[in-house]
Amino acid sequence: MNLELQKGSRSKFLAAIILFLMAIFVIRLFYLQIIQHGYYVSLANKEQVKRLTIPSKRGLIYALDGQIPVPLVMNQTVYTVFADPKTTTDNSKVIEVIHKIAGGNARPNLEELLNKKETRYQILATKITRAQADKIKKENLKGIGFQEESQRVYPEGSLAAQTIGFVDFSGSGKYGVEGKLNERLIGTDGLLQSVTDVSDVPLTIGNNNINKPAVDGENIVLTIDRNVQSKTETALSDALKRTGATRGSAIVLDPQSGKIMAMANLPTYSPAEFNKVTDAALFNNAVVSAPYEPGSDVKTLTMATGIDKGVVSANDTYVNTDRIQVEDRVISNASLGQTGTITFQHALNWSLNTGFVTVAQRLGNGKSITKGARDTMYDYFHNRFKLGQLTGVEVSGEAEGTVVSPDTEEGNAVRYSNMSFGQGLDATMIQVSAAFSAIANGGKYYKPTVVAGTLDKNGKYSANKVAAPTSPIAKSTADQVREMTHVARNAFFTNVDKPGYYMGGKTGTSQVIKNGVYADNETVGTYVGYGGSEEVSKYVIMVQVSGDNKELQGSRDALPIFTDISNWMIDYLKIQPKA
Amino acid sequence: MSYSRTQNFSSRRQQNWSRNQNTVAYVSAIKLGPVTHTVLIALMITVLGLIYLTQATRATSYDYATQKIDNQISELNTQKSDLEIENARLTALETVKNSSVATTMAAPTATEYAQ
Repeated sequence: MNLELQKGSRSKFLAAIILFLMAIFVIRLFYLQIIQHGYYVSLANKEQVKRLTIPSKRGLIYALDGQIPVPLVMNQTVYTVFADPKTTTDNSKVIEVIHKIAGGNARPNLEELLNKKETRYQILATKITRAQADKIKKENLKGIGFQEESQRVYPEGSLAAQTIGFVDFSGSGKYGVEGKLNERLIGTDGLLQSVTDVSDVPLTIGNNNINKPAVDGENIVLTIDRNVQSKTETALSDALKRTGATRGSAIVLDPQSGKIMAMANLPTYSPAEFNKVTDAALFNNAVVSAPYEPGSDVKTLTMATGIDKGVVSANDTYVNTDRIQVEDRVISNASLGQTGTITFQHALNWSLNTGFVTVAQRLGNGKSITKGARDTMYDYFHNRFKLGQLTGVEVSGEAEGTVVSPDTEEGNAVRYSNMSFGQGLDATMIQVSAAFSAIANGGKYYKPTVVAGTLDKNGKYSANKVAAPTSPIAKSTADQVREMTHVARNAFFTNVDKPGYYMGGKTGTSQVIKNGVYADNETVGTYVGYGGSEEVSKYVIMVQVSGDNKELQGSRDALPIFTDISNWMIDYLKIQPKA
Repeated sequence: MSYSRTQNFSSRRQQNWSRNQNTVAYVSAIKLGPVTHTVLIALMITVLGLIYLTQATRATSYDYATQKIDNQISELNTQKSDLEIENARLTALETVKNSSVATTMAAPTATEYAQ
């Protein structure tokens, strides 16, 4: 036996084979477990570890009701009902239940959809509420599933639609506040990385678990007062019916802070049904995105410039001949007959272009609108009153407008003579009303804003601080122009305002440029004014009406809208009349 | 060829009682063989494994409980949101304007202000 072993037996051979096989196993295991460790760990993680996105909630948008935030835009969980036609058994019952519970949200051709047995996914109803979904679930229908999604809902309907904007199907804010403040509203999605069981329930085992909670978007409170907004929209709608205008816009500002209380545009749309809108122009907020030649409203700013520079005052006079020569052009008044020596107050009352060209000339050498006069006007219009500049209001699509610099060839005396009565420059309503607010409030320019503050998740409202104003004109200048606009309003429109209050304003009738020339058959009517007590202006309202081939006037068509809103504001703000 | 000890040596120290030295030594009569040792180790490993499994299962059961509570929170939040929306719709301006109370209201004929 010993002899055999020494010679090399079969057992020894077997042992060698086993050892060899064992070595193969060891090498293979070493390869799999050590060398390929990372690869197999990642394969295992792929199978066992789930990365779930925790969606953040889009911030809500609130308006104000007095001082109390009220929801304007909210989120609602809605459900899509789908079927797997291969597994549904009782189609007639499914059809009956879906029709009965989902109603108008059900697809019209349910039978056809359920008969598509070769497919595995057919949508039967969309955007049904949780209560409806619960009712359908109780029916225990085989092959029926639910998909949850969040959608924006608008308790106030189409109120302030262009100011709010909407959220498209990809969840991105478009137009209005939704578009401009999308980053603040959208929040940040959270992440849950964990080993899960077969039902996708996250388990705490594992070393690479991540639980990063979602950060919800900010709840933003707008300065829009829903009552003022509603009144403004109603007044505008009534005026469109009355005047035959097809487009109307209005803005109501607090001149003591720059807060926008209302911003309305007609025609409007329902943000909940933005996908049904066929004319994309309806999405635009014309108050901020449609520059136009402001016309005679700008005469208040020309007057403020002249008074602030000390070259004119309300009771200074000039000789009106209803026409004035500027280089090779003759500028005429729209209202004729107020000829002779008249005051600038009289020129404002009658909105005489010659008066304001005269102011522009007096800013120069008294006879012509010199480069110095043009520099001064540009400084006041562009730099101080901020016409032709973005205001930075928190609504998307703001347009800049144009105030031509006197340093360019186009910024000549003829253009600046036109600019003195509101032509030859483009500005938006928000720019004009914010500039006019500086006249109404004693000479302070507040940046217009539509955001009042934020509301935390516990419902605590934190109001934003009012940004420090600039001082484009002296208080005495503002007071004098304010008085002039009060006189101008009362010169023709007596007994339209509530007695005991102090209102003022300026009409504007602007020509429209079509194909590079002023159209003969179309004008835009505007009115910008303020109201309150003699001491303090509580609101500034600017309205505009227009329509294709419509000749609309500031005094006839726009002023009554101001009056309607203004008299309502007196009551709403509980302003005490002068005894 | 074999060797054997011819003489036993004992140190002087061992010849006297030293301090802290046990005078009696107990030796266990039970002798454990290698098989017993292996079985005991296997048993210990099994017990430790069972303890681990118990703890892991308990942790997992907590996960299910947590998930259940999370679902409840989510469900209640959805219900809360739905109620908030319903509240907002019921207090919306249009709803209030068209309410039976509002339609029977009349505008005040005069307003007086406290001086």
